[in-house]
Amino acid sequence: MSAEPILRGPAVAFDGVSLSLGGTQVLHDVSFRIPAGALHCLVGPNGGGKTSLVRTLLGQMPHTGHIHFEGSATPVGYVPQALDFDRTVPMTVNDVMALLGQRRPAFFGSGRRLRGRVAQALARTGVGSLGGQPFGSLSGGQRQRVLLAQALNPSPRLLILDEPTAGIDAPGIQLVEALVAELNACGVTVLWINHDLEQVRRVAQSVTVINRQVLYHGPARALGSDWGTPP
Amino acid sequence: MNSAYAFIREQLQAMANGGLLPQPFEYVFVINALLCALLIGPLLGVLGSMVMIKRMAFFSQSIGNAAMTGVAIGVLIGESYTSPYLSMFGFCLLFALTLKYTQQRTTLANDTLIGVFLSISLAVGASLLLFVSAKINTHVMESVLFGSILAVDDTDMNVLLGVTLVCALIGLPLYNGMLLASLNPSLAHARGVAIRTVDYLFVLLVTLVTVACLKIVGAVLVEALLLIPAAAARNVTRSLSGLVTLAALIATFSCVVGILLPMQFHLPVPTGGAIVLVAALVFIVTTLIRATSSRFQGASV
Repeated sequence: MSAEPILRGPAVAFDGVSLSLGGTQVLHDVSFRIPAGALHCLVGPNGGGKTSLVRTLLGQMPHTGHIHFEGSATPVGYVPQALDFDRTVPMTVNDVMALLGQRRPAFFGSGRRLRGRVAQALARTGVGSLGGQPFGSLSGGQRQRVLLAQALNPSPRLLILDEPTAGIDAPGIQLVEALVAELNACGVTVLWINHDLEQVRRVAQSVTVINRQVLYHGPARALGSDWGTPP
Repeated sequence: MNSAYAFIREQLQAMANGGLLPQPFEYVFVINALLCALLIGPLLGVLGSMVMIKRMAFFSQSIGNAAMTGVAIGVLIGESYTSPYLSMFGFCLLFALTLKYTQQRTTLANDTLIGVFLSISLAVGASLLLFVSAKINTHVMESVLFGSILAVDDTDMNVLLGVTLVCALIGLPLYNGMLLASLNPSLAHARGVAIRTVDYLFVLLVTLVTVACLKIVGAVLVEALLLIPAAAARNVTRSLSGLVTLAALIATFSCVVGILLPMQFHLPVPTGGAIVLVAALVFIVTTLIRATSSRFQGASV
């Protein structure tokens, strides 16, 4: 299935971004630029500030410094690490997609137009048959695929992924990589938080390593095997 | 609106006199009570399912209890003993919004913080009640605690109708955003949801509905009617539309049966208690269905 025509994504520039939470410096003077239409990975140790940087980018964190978009950033597709979701809540995959993709209350069901788009997005991530399944009954990998599908609707200009392949099996990882590459080829700017350095070298054009501050920023292929160690 | 209520009452009374409706429909207070039941049933069903998903049951309980302090303040400043809405809405809104404001600026767990606020509110209420106890009889406090739906008048119905309209106008367009904000704030933010605003608006709606329903089910039991229909519906549904529809139906059913049943069988039970007992029976039935039906066995949802 081919991707929908997508307008070119923005360049994203972080300029001296700092963030303190409860007296702890989470980010210190972070500056780097993601070119328009790039597939850029963000790597670093646990607690290094990757998710905080993404939340800052989404406008959720009070920070100092500036974040500029060169070009329009909306719609933004965001794939969180997990949905903090009570698994016993009766909510189907289609309910979750309706919650995210329409204005009218999700308990009224999806409109016809949204139903078509949702079915297409779910099929693209390999979970087309799960629309009527309770979201809480899905495996971790299936949930990640649904979360990826919601980010495709509406077609994003900027796609932010927070470890989308964590807990996914090998075919799932291949599917995610192929889908992200396809979107990126259409011009979508991708920011991908990733722990797997092999995968980073395989899929990304550029990478930034952060541990509160920028340790390395440059081509992904030049990334060493340790955090922030170019070869 | 009062003439509309009068028209409905006349029509239903005429039908009861003609034998088309049961005998209790001959009484104005029964019709008033049933009109209220038809308004609050769907309201409590929709809002209750969200309260359950957002895990805010303890919060709504604390609002109900704060209303007692509101009543005491109302009596002190000279409001009507039977419907001190200004003080109840005023104090409960102050209580709820201060609680939410504090919640967003502390690392304390929600239940701890709500417990602290609830204790303060009850202590203030208990202290004030000493001053006002000479002015009111025990029946006033009893109706606040356990409801007095058979004493509902046109003012109460107007308040309920107004709150229902406010809830529909604010709650329906923001329903998805309110729910999403509690499932994943980052994702909600990426989707353009103003998280803080919808959180405050949800608190506002829960407070309005709780206070508007006090006359019907009472401060002690109002949280039960928000929660039990949603919990009963959750037992036997697998989708959001099923949950909300069934919760609204169970809430409406409980209100109607809870009003009519004690009257039909001359049971000396307060309406608030009867309504919640009916809802509890439905909950037990749905729990049994879930426990025995092969459709739900072994399922986490």
